[in-house]
Amino acid sequence: MTITLILVALAFVALGFSVRLTKGRALTAEVLENPTDHIRAVDLEAFQNLVDPGEEEYLRVNLPPAQFRRIQRERLRAAVEYVSCAAQNAAILLRLADAGRRSPDPATAEAAEKLVNNAIRLRLYAIQAIPRLYLGMILPGARISPVRIAESYEQMTRLVVLLGCLQYPTRGVSAAL
Amino acid sequence: MHPSLLFYYLWIAPHILLGVILLLMIRRRLYKQFPIFLLYSAFEFFQFSVLLAVFIHTGSFSDERYRGAFALGTAISTALRFGIIYEIFAEVFRNYNALSELAKVLFRWATIVLLLIGVALAGAHGSGADGFLLVVPILDRTVSLMQCGLLMFLFLFSRYFALSWRNYAFGIALGFGILASSELANSAIRSQLGTGSYLLDNLGMATYHCCVLIWIFYLAAPERSTHRTIKKLPANDLEVWNEELQRLLQQ
Repeated sequence: MTITLILVALAFVALGFSVRLTKGRALTAEVLENPTDHIRAVDLEAFQNLVDPGEEEYLRVNLPPAQFRRIQRERLRAAVEYVSCAAQNAAILLRLADAGRRSPDPATAEAAEKLVNNAIRLRLYAIQAIPRLYLGMILPGARISPVRIAESYEQMTRLVVLLGCLQYPTRGVSAAL
Repeated sequence: MHPSLLFYYLWIAPHILLGVILLLMIRRRLYKQFPIFLLYSAFEFFQFSVLLAVFIHTGSFSDERYRGAFALGTAISTALRFGIIYEIFAEVFRNYNALSELAKVLFRWATIVLLLIGVALAGAHGSGADGFLLVVPILDRTVSLMQCGLLMFLFLFSRYFALSWRNYAFGIALGFGILASSELANSAIRSQLGTGSYLLDNLGMATYHCCVLIWIFYLAAPERSTHRTIKKLPANDLEVWNEELQRLLQQ
């Protein structure tokens, strides 16, 4: 009886999820219409500072252990926030670049393709990095270095600039964006 | 108890509507993109024709010939549904080189894990005479669990990576998602009761009818244009990007 109840509950969850997908599609369309309202700023330098092992070592040496653990937890919490923002931006840019892949201009299509792959890679890194950062909060001594997130985000921002330039060649970088 | 008019409607109407799906798929040349779904629709239509002929000939749903044809048809239909799930999967990931290999591996693992869960749940039912009599509903439940699980995995995976779905693939997947989850609940209750009921039959057929209508809706609708360009991004990120560009130009 318990198994039956669990399976029926699972079936209802799955049914609800399937129906929500339709609503989710409408929301995605809205996000794509106004990406500026949904993209969140990511300060790469601050993020790199938060996950820098040298910085961590410096804090470990100069702070009492209890204070170091508390500060490290705060730093990692902020890093999780940065990774989440970067991953969310990647999802939006991925959708935007997806359309660019079908551009008749080969250079635009190529830049869009690279942006799509980069955004996917960033989301892959994010799914690995977030649990590790949380682990770091539980065990403040553990080595966490999600450097690849920063590299990937950096690459992604360059590709957005490139794609913008290719789509608006006469208006310059700022106007393009 | 004699089947009601509603029962006959729910049995006949969706299968006639499958003919509309076949026509739409041929007219829009979707058989190239979804050959297994086309085969499934054609097979379901064919199976219904055979079952209707047997029913008219024998006048009973409990005749052995009817049951035999139904069991064989259901087995083929189930196999085709697995094929369709893989077809949707391949269609969604076709344009994402960075993900397709990982997705294939995860899909294989998800299939294995769901099969193991299904087998473990079947084992929890025990054996003996009652256990043997329950083999068919338990098998049905295992298959429903696998199909529902695979579709949910596909939805979650593509949602996490924000992959864009073409209208047709989305419509087919949505229909199967609803069908698989309703069949999971239906088969779980059946395996508990150990027998069928008209209410469950009608609910199952009504869901199938809805799913056929969903497929028609999405297959008949024109493919949405997704052409968008990057228009405007926030100023604070713009500054960072401009800095990045300057750095890039200086390199």
